[in-house]
Amino acid sequence: MVDLSQYLPILLFLFIALGLSALFVFLPMGVSRLTGAHNPDAEKLSEYECGFPAFEDPRSQFDVRFYLIAILFIVFDLEAAFLFPWAVSLDLTGWPGWITMMIFLGELAVGLAYAWKVGALEWD
Amino acid sequence: MIQTLAFYLFAVLVTASATMVILSRNPVHSVLWLILSFFNAAGLMVLVGAEFIALLLVIVYVGAVAVLFLFVVMMLDIDFSELRAGFMKNFPIGVAIAVVLLTELVLGIGAYRAGALQLGAPTGDAVPIPGRGNIDSLGAVLYTDYLFLFEAAGIILLVAMVGAIVLTHREQKATRGHQNIGKQVRRNPDEATVMKQPEVGAGVEL
Amino acid sequence: MIGIEHYLVVGAILFVLGVLGIFLNRKNIIVILMAIELILLAVNINLVAFSAFLGDMIGQIFAMFVLTVAAGEAAIGLAILVIYFRGRGTIAVDDVDRLKG
Repeated sequence: MVDLSQYLPILLFLFIALGLSALFVFLPMGVSRLTGAHNPDAEKLSEYECGFPAFEDPRSQFDVRFYLIAILFIVFDLEAAFLFPWAVSLDLTGWPGWITMMIFLGELAVGLAYAWKVGALEWD
Repeated sequence: MIQTLAFYLFAVLVTASATMVILSRNPVHSVLWLILSFFNAAGLMVLVGAEFIALLLVIVYVGAVAVLFLFVVMMLDIDFSELRAGFMKNFPIGVAIAVVLLTELVLGIGAYRAGALQLGAPTGDAVPIPGRGNIDSLGAVLYTDYLFLFEAAGIILLVAMVGAIVLTHREQKATRGHQNIGKQVRRNPDEATVMKQPEVGAGVEL
Repeated sequence: MIGIEHYLVVGAILFVLGVLGIFLNRKNIIVILMAIELILLAVNINLVAFSAFLGDMIGQIFAMFVLTVAAGEAAIGLAILVIYFRGRGTIAVDDVDRLKG
């Protein structure tokens, strides 16, 4: 089996982070519930005198242009992911590996050029 | 020991969050459960030593694909309660099919455990390189034996990118014309203005 | 000790959950796409488990390709969804019956 002893601190860190964040969320809730008076009614839970009832859904819709940016991000994210193993194993793959990666980068550069040309990168 | 406990933790969490993905009422919650599911799957992959795939799961799936889903859910103004109309109607038959499928799959695994199935033996061309990490071994095989598959993956990415641009990009007609700054700067008085000395009462022809 | 069967069972459960998700949320294509991502995740778990327990890197390489294809599929699928919603104002799968040449 694989030696995973280096990952043990990360696992411990995960548990500590989980415990601390749960504590920060639930401790104030519990303390306020135990120490304060808690008898809500409809008037107390309404917006009171510091604001209006909301006119519309507070969740505003995103522009479709964000979607195009997200797509371009996915593609170049994967490109970067393919670059990692290429970079560390270049001594084992040599020139064929190098040329392959250059062709791959060229393919995606064609895509980038297309996106640029049709104006998908422009905001307005 | 710790490894076994961690496996069961991740396995239970990945299954539970996958269940919540398909059962939750709000698609935004579904996406968030999907993200938790991917994180725990990455934990499972770290446990067998596939560190790079775990990294990819977190970077690509959580960082990009799940965010894309979140974008789309928040971008479209959809009445989701209407879309759940057939949920209870399809529930019995869906569960029946799922149980049959799961039984078949587990039977296959049980047959392997009982010794009725033999796993294929690897050819030994792609064994992990001793003394090098997981990512080194991966790169050494990917960029020597699987060159063309890799280029095909690049073409797939290119097609996905061009397709998405063609589908969603709208050509915005410029509302106030494009300003060409170079052309404005290159303008000089000689070609932009004309001097005229009109006769009295003759008018000017431009 | 954790053997390959444990991973295969997790993969099988995830796969079945993905199939069940497609059945249950038949109208909501966003959840269907998420269920497809779950199915592909199950496939990846199987590939990585076999790769690790057989001591062969090819499974992990194919897991990378599956990931690439999944990303492309999500991008194109959601793009189709966005333009469909723009045209029709709904994403109900049952309404996709107006296909014309």
